Amino acid sequence: MLRKSRLSKLLIVGLSVALILSIPMVGGCKTGGVVKGGVLNDWFSEDPAGIDPQVDTTLMVYRLARDIFSTLLRYQGATFNLEPDLLAEMPTVSEDGLVYSFKLKSGVKFHDGATLTSEDVRFTIERMLKPETGAGSGWVFEPIKGAVAMEEGTATSLEGFEKVSETEFTLTLEKPYAPFLHNLAIPPASIYSATACTAAGDQWRMAPVGTGPFKLGEYLPDTHIRLAKNTDYFEPGLPYLNEVFIRIVPDDDTGRLEFENGTMDASFLPTDVPEDMQRYQDDAAAGTYQILESTPANTYYFAFNLNVPAIEKLEVRQAIAYAIDKQKIIDTIFGGTAVEAVNFISTGIPGAWAAAPGYTFDLAKARSLMQEAGVTSMELEIAQRGGDTPSDTNVALQEMLSQIGITVRISIFDRATFREMRNQGNLPCNYGNWWADIPDPDNYLYTYFHSSQSTVMSTGVNDPDLDQMLDEGRLITDPAERWAKYGEAEKKIVYDNCWIVPLWHMRDYVVLQPNVKGWTMTPTGVYSYRTVYKTK
Amino acid sequence: MFQFVLRRLLVAIPVLIGVTLITFILVNVVPGDPVLMMLEKRADQATIDRIRHQMGLDRPLPEQYLTFLVKACKGDLGESFRYKVPVTDLIKQRFPVTIKLATSAMFVALVIGLGVGILSAVKQYSVVDHASMVGALALVSAPIFWVAILSQIVFGLNLKWLPISGYYGIQYMVLPALVLGVRPAAGIARLTRSSMLEVIRQDYIRTARAKGLAERPVIFKHALKNALIPVVTIIGLELGGLLTGSILTETVFGIPGLGRLAIEGITYRDFPVIQGTVLFTAVVYVLANIIVDISYAFLDPRIRLS
Repeated sequence: MLRKSRLSKLLIVGLSVALILSIPMVGGCKTGGVVKGGVLNDWFSEDPAGIDPQVDTTLMVYRLARDIFSTLLRYQGATFNLEPDLLAEMPTVSEDGLVYSFKLKSGVKFHDGATLTSEDVRFTIERMLKPETGAGSGWVFEPIKGAVAMEEGTATSLEGFEKVSETEFTLTLEKPYAPFLHNLAIPPASIYSATACTAAGDQWRMAPVGTGPFKLGEYLPDTHIRLAKNTDYFEPGLPYLNEVFIRIVPDDDTGRLEFENGTMDASFLPTDVPEDMQRYQDDAAAGTYQILESTPANTYYFAFNLNVPAIEKLEVRQAIAYAIDKQKIIDTIFGGTAVEAVNFISTGIPGAWAAAPGYTFDLAKARSLMQEAGVTSMELEIAQRGGDTPSDTNVALQEMLSQIGITVRISIFDRATFREMRNQGNLPCNYGNWWADIPDPDNYLYTYFHSSQSTVMSTGVNDPDLDQMLDEGRLITDPAERWAKYGEAEKKIVYDNCWIVPLWHMRDYVVLQPNVKGWTMTPTGVYSYRTVYKTK
Repeated sequence: MFQFVLRRLLVAIPVLIGVTLITFILVNVVPGDPVLMMLEKRADQATIDRIRHQMGLDRPLPEQYLTFLVKACKGDLGESFRYKVPVTDLIKQRFPVTIKLATSAMFVALVIGLGVGILSAVKQYSVVDHASMVGALALVSAPIFWVAILSQIVFGLNLKWLPISGYYGIQYMVLPALVLGVRPAAGIARLTRSSMLEVIRQDYIRTARAKGLAERPVIFKHALKNALIPVVTIIGLELGGLLTGSILTETVFGIPGLGRLAIEGITYRDFPVIQGTVLFTAVVYVLANIIVDISYAFLDPRIRLS
């Protein structure tokens, strides 16, 4: 029989041990439901070939930039609402809409330990605009006074940037540009370290230094990218993961096999293979995986090139619009993973014409319009980007248009050829898509239909009235007035002239292993690992 | 021997120049702008022109070609438009990967091909013979892409014996080597069988058997060596093909080899990468053929390198 005192001691020790062992050791520690630590395994289907979002505009580079760098502003969660990222508070704008005043957070560190200052912001903007950078995203900072002069090489510093202090600066625009703050929230506007970028020179793209939640740990081209936790990240407690390991898996089927094998924690889901989507949805219902979905800012469309004689008559274009059974294609080819579009501007983005009736499938009306146009039969070429065989969608369009006397020839071009043809204004009609850079109607309408852009997008539109509407829209700062202007412009483009047929807005799907939490589906399709964690 | 090799190398020079010229003409004639491939979303003409100038793409074509040729003679294949690093560095990183894959695949091909071919010849018209030849025909006919994915599903996903993709150690090379090796194995098997059948019908083989030699030395010492001459030709050609990039296999299994580098160069119109990998490929083919020719002399003393 043990003495009471010894028994007490044993009890205390035993309880203590039990208490310690009861803390779940799941590769990290638990804080309020969130489990810190661990490695997330993800995959990309293409090697980014360097990480410089000023130069490269691919989605892979944007996704990496989202986590390696920070921007002055960012989107709040799954919304298009802006919030400060590197800024201490939202910037103020002068009444005339020209002068933006910014204040940076204090003490923000780059991955190399240097402190972020206004000079880094100046350096970043000027680097983008210098001709020798070869940047593809100069448009982001172009509204700033003096930006065009820098791009043309007639100025070596940015007139519109004024440093107020180490953490305060102003940007003066050439003209009012209402969506300017959105330009500062996207990956091309990532803020670089002036010293690190200058020192790295040409090797910057292989060894970027930012202020983001993750730093580049290792980059083996065409093999993998390792992102390591930034322990000095300016948001306390974030990120949760110790590491993100991104493999480059060029074959999509292989990437999904790896996911099903459990070696990947996340995968995108293609929307054009309904059987696969159904299989994953069944597995998700059984708890094997979890599927997240969103409807990002995109529009899939049938675009006309007005330089193609066959479709120069409005009635013919309208007939084509009415002859396409969009819901049928959505249901059969995409398994219901898209939403029929009535506007070219994506749903949820202000400025879309609120009263848009949509081009509802109406074969009789389509045939009547062809009769009005005096066309009984005609040939039409549709360009397809990539693929070995005509896509299901193009084949469906071919069949539907044959019902109104249009014989469609599908021409397949590889990516590079397609892009060159489009840029030269030589692309015939095509089924394409636009994923918005920023949630603003200007990003849709100006990009495709302003006469300064319509050649490079192969729409062939050259309408001075429309140009004026779009130019004016950029200058209006009152939101209601601005949306009305763009609504008017969209009505002119889509319905009065049928220069483009909006088809659908595609949903975006990501499938995750059941223990992956905190993943946010963003409306831009550019995800961040900042808030992701793994349980177990 | 030395004179033979020297003569072959000298003959190779105009061949290589011709290859580079044809490649240069093709990449400049085929539509597709490398600058537009970099600028996925935005491409105003001023930006495109600026970047083209920086990349030297606005210089006259003959100047561009001669610059490339002169630099290539010094071992400089230019800088990748996409990666912004010397093409030679990219080839140095990728070629060893492809060598490992190719030699592994060739090992598989030889073991399976020679083994099955010899067995089929020795057991002509037997069940083993028929099954082997039908199997060889099936493997030659099956798309490599299909074989690759099937092997991933069976051995990777279902049985979990081997990794599905990647390049992180020897176990990652097993499936790709098997997939890549079975097709040349089928060709080698068929050719070995027919070549062996021809040889084992020769008088000297009949004499060897009549003298009481055991079957193993008859086949492996006397027959196989002579039967290998046409097979060596195939091996040389197959090895050249394997070394210069097994694009589909590397793509499906995510192996960062020369084949993937070449296909990415074409996709993104990375002209220096295209020209560099094509020139390198041509050099490898030339060397592989020289080695094959030299090996004939060792296999058949009657062949003189003259």
